[in-house]
Parts: sequence; C-alpha cells; structure tokens
Amino acid sequence: MTMLKKCLLGLATFAAFFTFVSTSQASEPHYTITTDATYAPFTFQDKNNNYVGIEQDMMQAIAKREGFTYTMKPMSFNSAAQLVSNGQADGIIAGMSITPERKEVYDFATPYYKTGVAWIVKKNSTIKQLADLKGKTVALKTGTAASEYGKSLQSKYGFNVKYFNDTDTMYNDVAVGNSAATFEDMPVIQYAIKNGMKLKIMNADNPSNAGWYGFAVQKGKNKALLAAFNKGFAAIKADGTYNKITAKYLGASQATFSGSKKDNSTVLGILTANKAAFLKGLWQTVQLTVIAIVLASIWGTLLGVMGVSELKWVRGVSTTIIYIFRGLPLMVLAFFIYIGLPGVTGVKIPAFTAGIITLILNEGAYTGAFVRGGFEAVERGQMEAARSLGLNYNSAMRKVIMPQGLRIMVPSFINQFIITLKDTSILSAIGLLELTQTGTLIVARNSQGFRVWAIVAVIYLIVITLLTWLSNWVEKKIK
Amino acid sequence: MSEAQKKVKVHVDKVNKSYGDNHVLRDISLDIAENEVVVMIGPSGSGKSTFLRMLNQLETQDDGTIVVDGFDISDKKTDINKVRENIGMVFQNFNLFNNYTVLENIMLAPVELGKLDKVAAEKKARELLDTVGLADKADVSVNSLSGGQKQRIAIARALAMSPDIMLFDEPTSALDPEMVGDVLEVMKNLADSGMTMIIVTHEMGFAKQVADRVVFFESGKIQESGAPEQVFNAPKNARLQEFLSKVMHA
Repeated sequence: MTMLKKCLLGLATFAAFFTFVSTSQASEPHYTITTDATYAPFTFQDKNNNYVGIEQDMMQAIAKREGFTYTMKPMSFNSAAQLVSNGQADGIIAGMSITPERKEVYDFATPYYKTGVAWIVKKNSTIKQLADLKGKTVALKTGTAASEYGKSLQSKYGFNVKYFNDTDTMYNDVAVGNSAATFEDMPVIQYAIKNGMKLKIMNADNPSNAGWYGFAVQKGKNKALLAAFNKGFAAIKADGTYNKITAKYLGASQATFSGSKKDNSTVLGILTANKAAFLKGLWQTVQLTVIAIVLASIWGTLLGVMGVSELKWVRGVSTTIIYIFRGLPLMVLAFFIYIGLPGVTGVKIPAFTAGIITLILNEGAYTGAFVRGGFEAVERGQMEAARSLGLNYNSAMRKVIMPQGLRIMVPSFINQFIITLKDTSILSAIGLLELTQTGTLIVARNSQGFRVWAIVAVIYLIVITLLTWLSNWVEKKIK
Repeated sequence: MSEAQKKVKVHVDKVNKSYGDNHVLRDISLDIAENEVVVMIGPSGSGKSTFLRMLNQLETQDDGTIVVDGFDISDKKTDINKVRENIGMVFQNFNLFNNYTVLENIMLAPVELGKLDKVAAEKKARELLDTVGLADKADVSVNSLSGGQKQRIAIARALAMSPDIMLFDEPTSALDPEMVGDVLEVMKNLADSGMTMIIVTHEMGFAKQVADRVVFFESGKIQESGAPEQVFNAPKNARLQEFLSKVMHA
C-alpha cells in the first residue's frame, strides 16, 4: 500500500514538474546562445565551474531585464559561430568581431566592446618587429578576426601558420616557444598577461584593425532576441551596470576567479578544487561510451551479418556503409551531423544525440568490418557440411558459422570498446562537456596544462583499465 | 535382378564445368542405380571430386543435367535443400561443427529441419554412435577426437538424416594409416546394408572389395568404367593402365 502511495506521489511530482517547466517555457521566450568558454575575461569557467566573464554577466543582466531565458552552450569559437549561422542555435556571444564578411551571414546587435588586434611574443623573446617572424611559426585561433588579420600578414612577412581551436592552448604554444608569435584581441591578451601568462604585447599602444565585438544572430532571424538584447544593453549601459561588469573583470586578479595558488599549483589541489567538474566530465564520457558501445555493437553486428548475406545487393549495402563511415574522420562526421545536416534539414539535433549518432556510425563501421571478417574466417568446410545436410544458408549461418565467428571476434570487440572510449574525446569539438572538454576549460582558467592534462590522462587510463577488466571477465564467461 | 530393372538414383547427362580456361569436366554422363556402390578413381585434378560435389550442388555445373531421386537439381527452381536432406556427404577434412559436442553434431540437422524431435534425435544419435563404435564419445568436444574418430562421427552425422544416397569425398586421405581401417569398416558395413554410395578414394584395395563399379576419371573425362575385376585386372585404357601401375607400385 505504501509502495503504491509512493509511486503515485512520485508520479504526481513528476507531472507537476513538467507542468511547471512547460508553463515557464510558455510565458518567457527561451533561447540557445553559444559561446567560447576559453576567452577570459569575456567568457570563461571560474573555480566553481560556472561560466562567468563580461559577456556572461551582461547576458544575465539583459535577460533578466528583458524577460527571457536562455541556455548557454560553450564550445570552440568556430562551432559556436557555425551553429548560429545554420540555425541550430539562436545567438552567439563569443568575442565576435563585427566584420563586413560576417555581416553577410549574421545580424549584429549594438557593439558591446571596442577591440583591436595585438601581436604577441614570448616574454623574453628576441623578436623586435614583424619582419623578424620570417620563416618562423605563428599560432592562430581558427575562425577569429584576429587570425584573419594575422593571416593577411603572412605573405608580407613570410611566416608559417599553425591553427588552434582554443585560446589557451594557443597562448601556451607561444609561451613554451613552439610558435614564435600569435595574434589575439587586445583585451583578451591583456587579461591573460595580467594573470601571469608569460607573453609580451608588441603593439599595446597601437592595436591593428580596430573594431568592435557584437552579439549576433542568424541573418534575418531571431529579430525579437536581437531587439531585446539592444534594449537591455542600452539600459545596462545607461544605469552603470555595464561599467560595473567590465571593472569587475578587468580589475580582478586571477585568484578571484581561478582559485588560490594553493588550489592550482599541485595535482591534488587541482583535483580537489575541480572535483565536481571532473566527475561531471567523466560521467558524460562514461555515458557516451556505454551507449555508443551497446548501439554500435548492435549496428556493427547487423552490418557484419549483412556483409555475409547470400544476396549480393545486401552485401553491397553493407560494404558501402562500411566504406563510407570507416573512411570518414570522426570529427568530420561529428561536424557534418551536428552542424552540416541541420542547416539543410532544419531539424535541430542536440549535441549529445549528434555525438552518439557519430559514434554509432563510425565505431559501427569498424565493428561491421571485423564481424564480417570473423564470419569469413570460419573454415569454409563448416558451411559446406551444414549445407550438405540440407540446412539453408540462414540456418547454417545462425547455427554453425555465427557462433564460431563471434568467438573469434571477442578480442576485436574489446579493442573496439577501448577505441570508442578514447574517441569520445573527439566529440569535445562539438561542445560536449566530456572529460577532454572539461580539461580544456580548466586549463583555460588556471593555465596549468601539465597538471590538468596529466590528471585527465590518468582518469582515462583508469577507466580503460576497468573496461578491459570487465571485457576480459565477460570473455572468460563466454568461453 | 538385371541392371535395367533397378531404379536409377542418379542420372547425369552431358555435364560441363570450367574454372576460367581450365575445363575440369567435359561432357560427363553417368547413371547410378539404387543400392549401387560406385568408386571413382583417378589422378588428382582429374575432376572426380568436383563431379562428386556436383551431385549435391556444392559445385554448380556450367551446363548439362543432373537428376537425383527424380529431382532435377541442375534446375535452379528445384529446392536443393530438400534434395540434400536425402544425400549424406562425408568430407576429407571431416568438417565436424567445432561449436558443438559429438551428440549435438549428429542431432543438429534432424532437429533444425524438423525431421525428428529432440528426444527422438538423441535416441537416433546414440544408436548411430553405437553403430560406428563411439558410443562413449557422445558428450565430448569434437576437438578432442582423433582423425579416425572424427570421420566416423561425420558418417554418423550424415546418416542421422536417414539419407538414401551417401557421397564420400576422399574420406580416408587425411587419416593416419592406422585409423583408415576403422573408417573403411564402417563404410563397408554401410555398403552391405544396401546404401547407394558414391566414393572418391585412393584406397584401391577397398575399391576392389566393396565397389559394384569403378569409374576412372582423367582430364575431366570418364576414361573407363566397369566392374572392379575388369578395371583393375584387365584395364583397356592406356591412361588407366599408367595410373594403376603408379598407384599399385607406390
């Protein structure tokens, strides 16, 4: 009786929750906004793993005033921009410089921050002028206006270009001396240097290509959001909120947001301070891995079975699918599904779903190939003997060939499971906050690349070890 | 009873087979009567194994007609699986199912094809194991058996479907010499029981003893055929004479 009551109560709460959610959604418009969380002081993750920065505080203040809600999606700048241009997300606030080219694709709101491009070298570098960069490597961040500017100087000064997906990795590449210089937006590099990044600005008084940052929506779309942003921005500018926000971030030292020195200078400190973030990232990685392993194994086995079908066209379908999806790099597939397809079909796909589909198609193709190979590896005589007794092709496959083939494949399956786990890290590119992306965000905040990546590496190894043990245990059970 | 009165079990008419430029069977015609034991001999590559495998369509012919038990199996519309239920086959390499025990190997086809229920299939399997002298091996894994034991199990597996034709493709070629006798013994008993048998073998002594008819294949053709005494003692074909002089003195 009490069980029944509890169930009913649970059901009622569940129903109430959904009613609440749906009414709150109905009364206020809800938007999806993309950002790049490696872009302090505009957007970054603080020591409590909240997204903060000038842009985030501004957005909150404006949304509150104008009565809308939003989901903030942090990812690489490039993905963030593409997601808005193809309608997968509603707006982008990610230090996006307003350029004529971008105006063809986006509608910009009132500019919110004046900027210009700085060129930057290592703190004790001997480089004096741009001409000294001849033959050297310059680090640039994919898709940014600063990188466009840097690229435009390439032929004149004769340097090589190396691209990065996030700001912090790019800075570190220069700081450790791999690249000789980089180009970045002035306020961003100023903030980083103030917070201990060992870099030097070469044109502090004379920023090149001066311009503005703007909030953007897809061209011709989301007019209400754009209007609300403009109205709210004018209001926070007038009442001093905007100035308070910029002062808060530009005047602050790193410790305010990234935690104390103690938190960041030891592995244990980083681990303790970011326990929640690491666990969340790990959980996302485990979810992706488990779901992908199960579904890709089913799909791959089906492909493998089709690959040994008696019918030529069924074999052809299997071979073609395996050929295509084994041939595509995982990241290309992820971008195609998450960013490419919705642009054509108009159907939005959540990043998690897109990630799972990507893994199923890619890992499934590999699985299909070794499943087919496993069936083919069973001695020919086994099939002949079964057929000679009068069994049809399908019965012979099911009763004789497949059980033997599957046994051959067990090590390949275990191997594929481990590859799948590692491949989930590539999905950080479409903004999935799994373990690798978690590491990226933490490094972006505390600049402790060595320690953070060592922690992430060890976590992967632990999970892979557990996965291997589990697989071996299952293998023993089968045999 | 004269040959003409006996029922024809296998009728082969002008069968050809090529692998690329290699013409392995040339216009082969052959009739085999019920209860007849036919032994096919000849050098390797002569086409005898290919011919045997055509009789249950593990190989297909390029042209010609093959009628088994009244079914034209060279016609694609014929349900070959149904005809195969009635033709047992024993392979050189045994081809026992590695994923099953001895008993399960024998029971698989009758149960899967709905010919016997599990209880009846097991009863029959045990009887057959007894017949081939391996009753004590019912529950072992096939990989633990010797070659001679494997081949006797393979014969039992083929007999479990109660076929009335048995094909043997060099059944003793992969066996250690001391194992050959046991297998031939089983085959001889089978022949004595009236089974229609078509056997490809190099065991000339066995052929002399058991065959009703010996067929000599060479270069994809039947060069000579007849009763064993005639083929072995008074061969007419020059190639047969040459072949026999080689194998008899080996």
